[in-house]
Amino acid sequence: MIRTLNFAFIAITGFVCLGLYRIAEEARVAVADLRETRAAIVSEQDALAVLGAEWARVTQPARIQALSQRHLDLSDSPVMEFSSLTQLPQKALPLAPETGFATVKAIAPEVKPSQPRVLAPQSDDDATFAVINTGT
Amino acid sequence: MSMEARSGPNTVVRGRIGLAAGLCAAAFSVIVIRLVEVMVFGAGLAATADVAAARQPMRADFVDRNGVLIARDLPVSDLYVTPAAFWDTDEAARVLAKTTGADAARLKEAFAAKRGYVLVRRGLTPDIRDAAMRTGLPGLNFEKSYRRYYPAGRILSHAVGQVDPDDNGVSGLELGLDQSVRSGKAPLELSFDMRVQYVLEHEMRETVRTFNAQAAGGIVLDVRTGEVLALASLPNYEPNSRSTIPGDSIRNRLTQDVYELGSIFKIFAFAQAVDEKTVRFDEHINISRPLKLGRFTINDYSNHGASLPVPMVFAESSNIGTAHIALRAGPTRQQAFLRRMGLLDGLKTELPEMASPLYPRRWNEIETVTISYGQGISVNPLAFAAAAAAVVNGGTLVRPTFVKQSAPQKGERVISEAASRSMRELMRLVVTEGTGSKADVPGYEVGGKTGTAEKPVNGSYARHRLLSSFTGVFPMSQPQYLVFVMIDEPKGTKASFGFATGGWTAAPAVGRVVSRIAPLLGVRRNDTFAAATP
Repeated sequence: MIRTLNFAFIAITGFVCLGLYRIAEEARVAVADLRETRAAIVSEQDALAVLGAEWARVTQPARIQALSQRHLDLSDSPVMEFSSLTQLPQKALPLAPETGFATVKAIAPEVKPSQPRVLAPQSDDDATFAVINTGT
Repeated sequence: MSMEARSGPNTVVRGRIGLAAGLCAAAFSVIVIRLVEVMVFGAGLAATADVAAARQPMRADFVDRNGVLIARDLPVSDLYVTPAAFWDTDEAARVLAKTTGADAARLKEAFAAKRGYVLVRRGLTPDIRDAAMRTGLPGLNFEKSYRRYYPAGRILSHAVGQVDPDDNGVSGLELGLDQSVRSGKAPLELSFDMRVQYVLEHEMRETVRTFNAQAAGGIVLDVRTGEVLALASLPNYEPNSRSTIPGDSIRNRLTQDVYELGSIFKIFAFAQAVDEKTVRFDEHINISRPLKLGRFTINDYSNHGASLPVPMVFAESSNIGTAHIALRAGPTRQQAFLRRMGLLDGLKTELPEMASPLYPRRWNEIETVTISYGQGISVNPLAFAAAAAAVVNGGTLVRPTFVKQSAPQKGERVISEAASRSMRELMRLVVTEGTGSKADVPGYEVGGKTGTAEKPVNGSYARHRLLSSFTGVFPMSQPQYLVFVMIDEPKGTKASFGFATGGWTAAPAVGRVVSRIAPLLGVRRNDTFAAATP
């Protein structure tokens, strides 16, 4: 019994040693891979840093202005030409249904003159402005 | 006997086996515990994962308020060689000098001894390093380092400053923010807007060229937050080359120098008078005769008639009128007011190079008069801009800052809100009716003040060596930005009818700057106002 157990323990010990050796070897390879990957990451980060700096250099306003003056036929816009969407006047309400010309043409024979749709006025003063033309 | 004799050794053997088994079990237990610790709890992995997982420059990036890169540590290599490895040291010196740009004579001399470890050149860019490796020379050793790079070059050279070869800040914000930039990895957001900086620098350069001036300086300041959006001093220098060429200047005229700024100082004389209610706007000031104080006579640059209403004294920049108004406050109150505005104490900002103001020890009536129109007191232009911002922003002091802010400053109140509003009206009048008309930009309600100071030379003022300036603020109904431009010794041109005053030189430059930066900064144009003043 003891002899069997001894053999069993020796065998287990042998397997464990082999297993540990394999794990250790895999760990060594993994560490080497990790080191290589980290070096590659640092290298890529360096490359990104260089590219970022290069991008900042080539997109600086002085260079863009020089290039545009050399290659484009643009004039300096007077400040009055600058505006924003919020400063644009409000778009007029549509006079016709929002359909394409083809659709309008296809249904043209069936279109009947429509009556102005009257919205309920909020007050007497609003009455004039509450009429929306939906006809053509 | 035999049984006892046999049982004795058996017991000993069993005991030894048991001991060995116990030791094995203990050893395996330790291994198992460690395996569980490593595999289940991940002990030790975190420590190894951190090692050199990222690039480690010494200094964090500087970026502008919109994230545009201003300064960054880029990877470079320092090349060292072992001369003993060379067959032909002269040839190696020639090849390495040609490849790296190092001094050939120095290398030849250093290699000749065939001893030690010789530095060929620091800060090689990756392409030069690759070229050096392609030479096939033995004994080359590249040591990785970082070098500070400024993509915008000259545009922001003075404010950002420089580092030494070991990446220590030595000037400008590189020195002033050295601790912050070394301790953090995240980019440090500065207050600058590179678009605004470029526009300011470009317009100043054009003005210097047009008026054949010696130098120029300009500031764009947010009057509510105190953020410096742009700061340009001409001539400047190329920070990447770490050397200057003839005509360059590493001197930041806006912070390192103090100037007698001339009539733009009248802003403070009037701000005090309006705040302390020593004048009324419907009052007329007699300016028919030069003002005589002892042996001094105060004159105006041009004749404005017998009298002017108070607003026009400011708009037409009358020295005599301003002197009369300043005398109502007197020396003591004037000095106290200017001290409250921060003009008599050194300004503290993140920029270490900051000159202290110069003012007379004896401050009597004549000093009160000359200081009221900006002669006899020298301040650095940034301190002036900060004080002028306080006058128009509702009356609270702002401390200029070069780091991006998220909220307006809540500084000490120096004048009342009503006085600030009145000053805005006066400054707008300068542009609509007075000496600063060339700074007007339709729709942006530019207000400001012109200044033309004669430069002190050998104890007296040189009539034709001027420091011309303009301080503009827009939009005057709700001030957001202050634009200051000063031109050092401009020469009159045919187009300016020979004039080189602030109204002819700096004011148009400020107008052009405002017209270009206002849309970029999202300042809304007042169309009603623009239509009324096309």
